[in-house]
Amino acid sequence: MNERIKNVLRGFRGIVLLGARPILAIILALTVSAVLIWAAGANPIKAYAALLEGSFGSVAALANTAVRATPLILGGLAVGLGFKAGLWNIGGEGQMYLGAATATVVGIIPLPIPTWLHLLLAVVAGFAGGALWILTPAFLRAYRGVSEVVSTLMLNYVAGYFISWLLHEPSPLAETGTFFPMSPSILPGARLPILVKGTSMHGGLILAIVLGVILYFILRHTTFGFRTRMVGGNPETARYAGVDVKRQMFRVLLVCGGIGGLAGASEVLGLKWRLFDYFVSGVGYEGLALAILVNGNPLSMIIGGIFFGSLKAGANKMQIVTGIEASMALVIQALTVLFVIAIGFGERALLDREQQKKSHAEESIANGY
Amino acid sequence: MGKNGDIALRMVGITKRFPGVLANDNITLEVRAGEVHGLLGENGAGKTTLMNILHGLHQPDSGNIQINGKEVKITSPRIAVDLGIGMVHQHFMLVDNLSALENIILGIPSRRPPLLDLDSARARFTELTSEYGIGLDPSTPVWQLPVGDQQWLEILKQLYRKTNLLILDEPTSVLTPSEVERFFKTIRRLVDEGYAVIFISHKLEEVLEVTDRITVLRDGHVVGTIESHEATASKLAHMMVGRPISLDRVSRPSSEDKKEILVIENLCCDNDRGIPALRDLSLTVHAGEIVGVAGVDGNGQRELAECIVGLHQPTKGSIRIINEPIAGVTSDPSLLGYIPEDRSKNGLVADFTVEENLILKMFETSPFARRGILQWREIRDRANNLIQEYDIRTPHPATPLRNLSGGNQQRVIVARELNANPALLVASQPTRGLDVASVEVVHNVLDGERNRGAAVLFISTELSEVLALSDRIVVMFDGQIMGELDAETADVTLIGEMMLGYHNRAATAMGGNA
Repeated sequence: MNERIKNVLRGFRGIVLLGARPILAIILALTVSAVLIWAAGANPIKAYAALLEGSFGSVAALANTAVRATPLILGGLAVGLGFKAGLWNIGGEGQMYLGAATATVVGIIPLPIPTWLHLLLAVVAGFAGGALWILTPAFLRAYRGVSEVVSTLMLNYVAGYFISWLLHEPSPLAETGTFFPMSPSILPGARLPILVKGTSMHGGLILAIVLGVILYFILRHTTFGFRTRMVGGNPETARYAGVDVKRQMFRVLLVCGGIGGLAGASEVLGLKWRLFDYFVSGVGYEGLALAILVNGNPLSMIIGGIFFGSLKAGANKMQIVTGIEASMALVIQALTVLFVIAIGFGERALLDREQQKKSHAEESIANGY
Repeated sequence: MGKNGDIALRMVGITKRFPGVLANDNITLEVRAGEVHGLLGENGAGKTTLMNILHGLHQPDSGNIQINGKEVKITSPRIAVDLGIGMVHQHFMLVDNLSALENIILGIPSRRPPLLDLDSARARFTELTSEYGIGLDPSTPVWQLPVGDQQWLEILKQLYRKTNLLILDEPTSVLTPSEVERFFKTIRRLVDEGYAVIFISHKLEEVLEVTDRITVLRDGHVVGTIESHEATASKLAHMMVGRPISLDRVSRPSSEDKKEILVIENLCCDNDRGIPALRDLSLTVHAGEIVGVAGVDGNGQRELAECIVGLHQPTKGSIRIINEPIAGVTSDPSLLGYIPEDRSKNGLVADFTVEENLILKMFETSPFARRGILQWREIRDRANNLIQEYDIRTPHPATPLRNLSGGNQQRVIVARELNANPALLVASQPTRGLDVASVEVVHNVLDGERNRGAAVLFISTELSEVLALSDRIVVMFDGQIMGELDAETADVTLIGEMMLGYHNRAATAMGGNA
């Protein structure tokens, strides 16, 4: 066969494999989970049917899925952008807390401005809060070579306790006389609009989707994105191409933190309308899992986020119908990520072997230069 | 061990097929006791596969192997060792934090387990070192040994194991010229004692010097076996590549244009570990000349190149390209082109597509970007032009670079760096790891740039190519230039001495035109 056609086919197969990887991982995870459900004494088909109904079966179910998906997508984008620059932002959890807190502060203060502007200010404050929270790790990573994995992770705990402290009296942010620590209610004008009447589906989803598309555009079509990907692909070469690698890392991490802050802001401004103690409860880490699942691709993040969201939304229905614990949703999520990593390793080994064979073959042809 | 002249090894009709590649095609190889048998071939010609078969790492699909006339099946490296086959790999198989002696006995069962047999091993070690005049202390940890001594340790390991067929894979790549000479003497002595040696190399001169017979492989089959005294470098190159090839020096008129392009004055810099790597180095390269930088690897050549292209920060001194002071990375492609030492490390991004790699240095400039937005149409057009002009074999401009062969990746760099006709070209070990045909192409590229009127700084640890290509030669040692010579009249012995740090004023005077 013609070598050119072969090459094109090979490239095409690569693309298919890349797209197929998460889907294959999902199928494998659902299969293994089915065995677990069966072992727990329930009918897997019934369980999955209930899961599906609970996530897509009605308007309320759909709204529930959307509400669950929103912070996952935003949290995933906060990690995924870092992937493109070779950076691991594990601090989504902390950035969500801080973003939520700054958005809340802006949201509860009455301002003599139009409501849309108030909302915008609150959202921007959320971004700023997250960015502020990652400022130190970003500086240390870019200019001092300190691993961002450790520093962002550690700050998650600091963030949790800091918010807790903010919400306990005598802090000015603490609501008085409640049995659970929380902030005062966010003013109606600073809330994200409800998209479907009678449900809690709010504008955060639109924010997430638009942001995903914008990030995709930035990465693919702007010099900022080119620099980012170059730093991730080969920092030495980036330096040679005249890129200020440290500054780029610093900036990318700040944006990552900011998006993490948005994830928190969208939760309080759209869904909860108050800042609650410990409200993030692991969503930041689920965002990390999602980002791994889709390898940081901002567009796939939207779809993957909806899938993860549907698992969480449908899990309750599954529990009611079959008695399987709702935490099964987390098991499926975790298995999906495990499989996607395993498949990734397998593919890499396969590609390497093929590459070796290929260079072997090409060099023996000795076709000159 | 056999008598000299007996057939020590005979491989008959060896065929080995990998999926999609016929690596060894009916290869027959005969090595006598008491001879050094050269094995030549380009990368991928099948040398490695053949040696792996001999070493028990691969099983041939057909063919058989005879050792001292007896047919053997070598199904594992252990069996190869038992048969007296020993290999010194190009990349040493030594454990850094064990001592020289411990490395020697590694893998040999002790006579009184579970204890080690160190005392008798030490006695044998000393016996062998004194017999062959190898100055090695058994208790020195390997990481403290210079690479040359590590090579000796590898040889010693084989002697200790009573090897009688010794395979040497590119053994001289880490040695200086005088070390090579001593090394060859030892090899000659070993074969006089009845050893059989297979010598794998792509340095034709060395193969001619040390071997008795040479077998040349191409595309997995034997082109021929010839007596070394009947062979010449050009004949061997022809056999390897399948067409006449010239790596010899062609004399040429020196350029009329004496314009100073690169001027380096009193340059000092530290290496990555903070140790001085360049000491007060001054160098001038004119338009239309190739200045070759010779020297043993690690004497500041890399730092010199990286200072010029702005990847390394000098601590003192100045660098000017056409009177423009250089501080940091030069973004003007018409000023400076750079072919880096390790293309995967700082020339390319493997995950980027071919077209993206072709605009690495200019992705922010018009017309490829406007107001921060990449103009993919312009980028694609440029890529298509360069792909055609430089004959880059890629299925598509948007194919990831990692899917290209090494030679084609090199072409991507050459296209990007030379397309704007830079005034200065810095080439740092551009032929390292390339086969003869690709080396020839790189040489032609450098020569072409020179003739176009560019100033070329050509850094290489292969003395022969520095001699073949340069107009002037400077020799680097320990971050300094030891001397400068006219390449037409340069004396190899003198260069060799300089490479080892003997400063020679006469040579500097002879070079004259600094």
